[in-house]
Amino acid sequence: MSTAMNFGNKVFKPRAPDKGAFPLDHFGECKNFKDKYMNCLRENSYENSMCREQSKQYLECRMDRQLMTKEPLQKLGFKDLLDE
Amino acid sequence: MKSHRNPHTESQQEEWRKRNKTVLTYIAAAGVGMIGLSYAAVPLYRLYCQARLGGTAVAGHDAEKVESMTPVKDRILKITFNADVHAGLQWNFRPQQSEVYVSPGETALAFYKAKNPTDKPVIGISTYNVVPFEAGQYFNKIQCFCFEEQRLNPNEEVDMPVFFYIDPEFDEDPRMARVDTITLSYTFFEAKEGQKLPLPGYS
Repeated sequence: MSTAMNFGNKVFKPRAPDKGAFPLDHFGECKNFKDKYMNCLRENSYENSMCREQSKQYLECRMDRQLMTKEPLQKLGFKDLLDE
Repeated sequence: MKSHRNPHTESQQEEWRKRNKTVLTYIAAAGVGMIGLSYAAVPLYRLYCQARLGGTAVAGHDAEKVESMTPVKDRILKITFNADVHAGLQWNFRPQQSEVYVSPGETALAFYKAKNPTDKPVIGISTYNVVPFEAGQYFNKIQCFCFEEQRLNPNEEVDMPVFFYIDPEFDEDPRMARVDTITLSYTFFEAKEGQKLPLPGYS
């Protein structure tokens, strides 16, 4: 028997991403940046905060190649990297 | 033998009896009412919380929020990744990292990889799930690869990124105080041409 205040009969409602879907990188144009990011993660026990420069570079690569809508990086949460 | 019944007090006693009955009826009614209220409290509370939660969930999706939020550095959350493929879809689909450690308010990148090992192009479409359920409202995807058809050519392999953040308000929710792992699961289905997964509010 479930607990009194259980939300068990509520179904998880997926939400669409804010900026829609990434186009697929069919030609692997940003693969190098992805590899750099993944290597950084491996070297830093998968701590995202240590690899934000690499993730910023990956997204910049996508933006440069029409694989992502161009956006000022502050709007993607990278304002701390830009202030440096 | 003198009757113990006194005509003057008899009517008074009758009055008392009537009053007692009325009072008892009121008490019984109040008792039933309270029992009813305690049953009603559960759905009423749920309705109230839905209204409140609905408000919080909608508030989380702003570019301004992403721009102005600051990471809650002293809170670290482990995000783990699952990948599933529906039986009819012959893709190899897997996450490229088993986990990532993030703070609420910090945008993060994660990758999945998908390969079409067949000799025909295959179109897939994915949906996702977040566990625990209550943490799902704080999981915000800025951009990912879900809900739209993705076509893989024969023997093609692609990286599929998810760019997300956990809402910093997660740290202020007492229900989330003991949550330190959130699991993101993606499932790919085969899509027929032009198919869209039915989703509330997705245009």
